[in-house]
Amino acid sequence: MKHTTVVIIGGGATGIGILRDLSMRGVKAILLEQGGIASGASSRYHGLLHSGGRYAVKDNEAAKECIEENMILRRIGKECVEESEGFFVLTQQDDPDFEKPWVEACGRAGITAEQVDVKEALRLEPALDPTIRAVYRVPDSSVDGFRLVWHNAMSARRYGGEMLTHHEVIAIEQEAGKVKGVRARNTMTGEELRISCDMVVNAAGSWAAKIVQLVGLEVGVQPDRGTLIAFNHRFTSRIINRLHQSSDGDIFVPHGSITILGTTSFHADRPDAHDVPTADILKLLDIGEVLIPNLRSYRILRAFAGTRPLYVPKGAAAGRGASRGFHVSDHSEEGLEGMVSIFGGKFTTYRLMAEKLCDLVCQKLGVHAECRTAIEPIIESASPEMLEKAAKYFPVHGVPLAANRLGEAFPVVVEKAAAMKSNPLLCECEMVSRAEIEYVAADPASQNLTDVRLRTRLGMGTCQGTYCSLRTIGALTECNTPFAMSPADNLRDFLQERWKGLRPALWGLQAREMDLGRAVYAATLNIDGAKNEQKN
Amino acid sequence: MNHNTNLDKCVACSTCVVQCPVSEVTSKFIGPRMLGPASQRFRLLNDGEDNSLSYCTNCKNCDISCPHGVDISNINMLARAEYCREHRPSFRDWVLAHGELEAKLVRYLPTFLANMGQANPITKLLLSRLGISPKADLPKFAPKQFPAMFKAYKQPEGLTKKVVFYPGCFVKAYAPQVGMDFVWLMNKAGYYVECPDTFSCCGTPLYTNGFEEDARKNAAANLMEMAKWHNEGVPVMSLCPSCQLMFKEYPVYFPDLAETAGSTDIGDCMQFVIECIERGELDPASAAVQTPLDIIYHAPCHLRAQGIGLPGFDILRMLPGVNAVNADAGCCGISGSYGFKKEKYDIAMAVGSKLFETIKDSGIELVSTECGTCKVQIMHGTGKSVAHPLSILRQRLEGSN
Repeated sequence: MKHTTVVIIGGGATGIGILRDLSMRGVKAILLEQGGIASGASSRYHGLLHSGGRYAVKDNEAAKECIEENMILRRIGKECVEESEGFFVLTQQDDPDFEKPWVEACGRAGITAEQVDVKEALRLEPALDPTIRAVYRVPDSSVDGFRLVWHNAMSARRYGGEMLTHHEVIAIEQEAGKVKGVRARNTMTGEELRISCDMVVNAAGSWAAKIVQLVGLEVGVQPDRGTLIAFNHRFTSRIINRLHQSSDGDIFVPHGSITILGTTSFHADRPDAHDVPTADILKLLDIGEVLIPNLRSYRILRAFAGTRPLYVPKGAAAGRGASRGFHVSDHSEEGLEGMVSIFGGKFTTYRLMAEKLCDLVCQKLGVHAECRTAIEPIIESASPEMLEKAAKYFPVHGVPLAANRLGEAFPVVVEKAAAMKSNPLLCECEMVSRAEIEYVAADPASQNLTDVRLRTRLGMGTCQGTYCSLRTIGALTECNTPFAMSPADNLRDFLQERWKGLRPALWGLQAREMDLGRAVYAATLNIDGAKNEQKN
Repeated sequence: MNHNTNLDKCVACSTCVVQCPVSEVTSKFIGPRMLGPASQRFRLLNDGEDNSLSYCTNCKNCDISCPHGVDISNINMLARAEYCREHRPSFRDWVLAHGELEAKLVRYLPTFLANMGQANPITKLLLSRLGISPKADLPKFAPKQFPAMFKAYKQPEGLTKKVVFYPGCFVKAYAPQVGMDFVWLMNKAGYYVECPDTFSCCGTPLYTNGFEEDARKNAAANLMEMAKWHNEGVPVMSLCPSCQLMFKEYPVYFPDLAETAGSTDIGDCMQFVIECIERGELDPASAAVQTPLDIIYHAPCHLRAQGIGLPGFDILRMLPGVNAVNADAGCCGISGSYGFKKEKYDIAMAVGSKLFETIKDSGIELVSTECGTCKVQIMHGTGKSVAHPLSILRQRLEGSN
């Protein structure tokens, strides 16, 4: 049995943020995640770093939190935040009476909203509808969710934090009204693990209600499904928002090599309601065309859905009406000592959420240590010398990508690449080289190809796994990466996960890609046959 | 056309990589798919340009082979233009790009002086310092350039029909006789030939070497002249496949110019000759010379990229006594000035090796191709003589040579 001070449940932005914060304050902690790091809502959203403009009118407090955290993240997470900005655009279909109160509300929240001449805006963003009526510039940006969570995890590890992926919490042990420990099961091997601890932190997002149920309590967490579409390339350079009352399909986020359009808001009956109905996609396209008239000519890479863990106290509004603020619950108020939960919130404010929660945990543990997460950069930036050295082993566009993805591990990977005979790109679409993939796959947190994908973007570009998955499984098998799954199962699961995102939008250019993938794997390589053969 | 929409068509099948003659012979080039549609997604995100951008020869075999119609070579050429706006190309590239200007400058020099670089070891050393391979055979300036020859030539009286000839730099400075052969053929078919002085270099060497603005000026002048003739209903045509292709690509490189100009297409002289034959204005069957002649034909990449068939080869095959075979052995490697560059000479020779072997193995002594620089490269790689299909046509019809 392991022992620690705090067990954190949930490996999303909030959970990992808490792990880092506690570790920096010198509190021992182990984090348990049922899947891979950032495999839930932290990777199933826009990738938008809110300026707060979206919430300014309706929830000025949330807007203030956003702009403050936005500025902090630009400072501490440079490698994860693009140096970008956002436009709020008043289209022909938007109520012009919303403009003035919105500008005022932005001012109240401390968000700079500067008017841009429409002609100039169209010059900067030629994909926009030429009939737009007004444009404002705000400090929106895009933030890479996977990367930010991973960088926090790497930082947490450096401070002694531990994390176990693919571990599902099955019980919270208590004695005389006080938490004693946690039992978890390794979902890959079935092995059970007990960790004794003084406190449990429930940061399971949409799964938080399930965790609370383990101790016989109830809580108002309402999973709310949001569908998003990823397009094959950046057709704007800035985040584009509609200047109106927040609604569906009104934000475009150019993000790395792609553009994401979202989202919808539907009540979900389970936290893993990740299926995407085609109707959602068509609806998003209809709405999106108001801002970007040529939208349907761009290639859709895939569609995906996540569930927002909305916190809905009894009698409050759900869906779009629900607050985007967060809520910390101390379960001692319900008679259980040693357990706290955090609900609601959004990616942009993950750090603040972690800070508030850790303040409570430290107070309960009697630890006196200041929170330093707002001052200390999450990772150390790559040095110019290292970038120059890397250029010998990575293609030009791949150097900053790898440096930003890998953070502190970048020098290690560059040395690894230098020692290799050659460092080919295993994923050409997202420019992920063999050295990077081997390094990430060897991390104990990587249990399968999907884990490697979440950290490297392997298989997330144009081909959606058609070429890179076979190359990668070959390379990783060759260097004896200890995955629990057989190579065939691993490949099949990875492809099925990719194809899951393609099926609901299977038309146009992406249908050709899918058919090519089907021909390669289902026909030529007979991957289903390989699976059956294994069974016999 | 928006080339960023076009990149969406790539399914990453890598057919272009298999068909790319440069990828086949060097690892210095990351290949058309990676440099084209794959890198384009990142050009929209960050700066920086792969070193291998300069290794694309713009031969367009990628475009020819792409099953989905991705404009791969143009993604690369637009990226190169963009890159060169910030990063000045070398003086060597300036020299190679501005052949038209140099031809104008040397036009009054005696030929032996103008062609000094070919024989003189000191000039050769200077060129090598500049970055031009001492192993390359640069084309030799003709004793008299085409404009002077054309002006001095008296066309028969009473020709009622008219065509406009766009000679291009190669015919002007290095191969004026081919241009004169075309004029002779047109006169024989009953056409008076106009060749306006205002036509300038099509811009291919300028654009591919990174001199976008110079290319734009030329394009503007050419399009203005062409529009004049289009309005009068007089066909404008060129002998050079690369010039023809450049005109067809003005809308991609200079969309604003093309918009005002209407059609930018320029005709192909060989196609026009075939039409003359079909109308009975020229008759290969009654050629004065009908003795047996074996010819091996090479189809220039920029001709194949236009998708207009191989009209020059068709003409050869119409000639009594001529046995013309298609070498069908891919790119010759020269790609304009690419193969003259020191760091690219070996690549260009490796690319062309398949064609050279095919020609040598055929045992045929006469090679025919439309493209001037292909001719230079084939002569360099095989030592055989190379003639333009229309020069051969004239010789066979006229019989005096």
